[in-house]
Amino acid sequence: MPSADTELKSSTGPSWADQVDQVEDGELPPPSEDYNKGLKVITEYKYNDEGKKVKVVKTYKVEKKRVPKSIARRKGWKKFGAAERDPPGPNPANTILAEDVYMQFVHDKQQQLQETSEKEQDPLAKLKGRLVSCRICKGDHWTTKCPYKDTLTPLQDALESADKPKPEPGAENTEAAAAGGRTAGKYIPPSMRDGATRRGESMHNQKRDESATIRVTNLSEDTREADLQELFRPFGSISRIYLAKDKITGQSKGFAFINFHRREDAARAIQGVSGFGYDHLILNVEWAKPSGS
Amino acid sequence: MKPIMLHGHERSITQIKYNREGDLLFSAAKDAQPNVWYTLNGERLGSFKGHNGAVWCIDVNWDTSRFLSGAADNSLRLWDCETGSTISEVTTNTAVRSCQFSYSGKQLMFTTDKTMGHPCEIHIYDVNSFSEPVAIMPVHGPKVTSAIWGPMDNMIITGHENGDLCQWDLATGDNTKVVQEHSKQINDIQMTKDQSMIITASKDTTAKLFDVRTLEKMKTYKTERPVNSAAISPIKPHVVLGGGQEAMDVTTTSTKIGKFDARFFHIVLEDEFGRVKGHFGPINSVAFHPDGKGYSSGGEDGYVRVHNKFDESYFQFEFEY
Repeated sequence: MPSADTELKSSTGPSWADQVDQVEDGELPPPSEDYNKGLKVITEYKYNDEGKKVKVVKTYKVEKKRVPKSIARRKGWKKFGAAERDPPGPNPANTILAEDVYMQFVHDKQQQLQETSEKEQDPLAKLKGRLVSCRICKGDHWTTKCPYKDTLTPLQDALESADKPKPEPGAENTEAAAAGGRTAGKYIPPSMRDGATRRGESMHNQKRDESATIRVTNLSEDTREADLQELFRPFGSISRIYLAKDKITGQSKGFAFINFHRREDAARAIQGVSGFGYDHLILNVEWAKPSGS
Repeated sequence: MKPIMLHGHERSITQIKYNREGDLLFSAAKDAQPNVWYTLNGERLGSFKGHNGAVWCIDVNWDTSRFLSGAADNSLRLWDCETGSTISEVTTNTAVRSCQFSYSGKQLMFTTDKTMGHPCEIHIYDVNSFSEPVAIMPVHGPKVTSAIWGPMDNMIITGHENGDLCQWDLATGDNTKVVQEHSKQINDIQMTKDQSMIITASKDTTAKLFDVRTLEKMKTYKTERPVNSAAISPIKPHVVLGGGQEAMDVTTTSTKIGKFDARFFHIVLEDEFGRVKGHFGPINSVAFHPDGKGYSSGGEDGYVRVHNKFDESYFQFEFEY
């Protein structure tokens, strides 16, 4: 069989050595068309801009469709105008097959976002009626959201420190000891014991909520934290602003992270500020990627 | 979806239109040659040579035998669809802004710009005799930026530069109704398949749904950028809006935030449910395929993107409310 194959090749086409000669001669193999199981393969040879021979293989899927007579008649119309000399089939110069695109369903996303934020808010809302009382003014809200925070806190601190010097440490100690006594049978690491300071966990809790963090890039060098605060405060309460600065010169490195208290605020900030022209530059605002990944 | 990109124009697309069966797609751009394409494979059937200026508006008649185009070279041409040759031509004083065949295909309507001391006018011609206009209705006040025939071919609805939407009675030639729901120019008006409602796309960043006869505003679809075109799906309760950053601001905006997506809204609930990316300039014209299973959009980037069939997820998608 192999011998037969080679024979066939040599009889139908030139060997590879001859092909090289052919290029010098300037001859091109004739284009060929191949029908195979609903696929039409057209092979053409041409010279590219550098004068090299290029083989162009076009594969078309051939489909048969039943259509109304009027459409079938139109299918047979001759091409005219600028397309007059186009061969049958789409001209690749005009018709380009684009990459796949998908419809992004916006509604789902928004709903998810709403749901998550509702979940986050729910426990707070539930607590609000019963448990929440402000440590500063005894009102029905969280201490951090107290409207009198700035005016009353310093006063209260002063009063407290005068009244009772450090009652907490003692109380904590006794509690921890009691807990240790109760479960004496098993070893429990200090961090897991009741009433312990729970170092590991508290560290975890302290970790910032990354979900409401946005990254701002393309800031100008002169940007200061105060500028960012001014820019982003209208969108909601900000928990932290981190502006990357050069250690030596103290100038901005051009990007910053803004932590919002609420994810919706962050989303609105992205909507609002992205593409905003600031100091001759156009700001780029997006969700911050979780650090460490 | 695997869209087909049609690159037959050198400048930004101004209008695209399917014929009645949806096997052909016509496209016009600010270059002088409108094109016609087979929608199925994106093959170009031909181009209509003859205009000397930007082509602002196109239309195709009921049986796809005649094609109409109005251009900035102060002319309106009627073409033979099959051969691409000009059948008749009307020369006007100013640029032709919008044109359309009547539903019957016996008459055609076009509007002219208010420039160079000439007033804005609505012209009506008989398709078979171009020598004399059937009627000329002068438009006093802001110029017409988009116009379509009303149902039963007895009225014309025009959208104006200042956001007005007007109805013109053809029997008397009078302006019978004016509503101002938009605050800025109306870029496009399209009708539902059953001719009961129209959707207007305006520069004031909204698209609105009106009753054709009463011009009562029924729905508003809000976006953040100017809306250049809006179309209503013939099979689903959906509308698609095309628009984006204004063309003059495009060079200073990145694609990511320019909002050049085609945006799909629920027609009744006015909520956006989907977006399709693709263009890297604002979308100037959108059209649903007459079978409702696909749509096309033409953009400032000069490309027409033909989406022949939506993904299965589009058909399965149920709006939750």
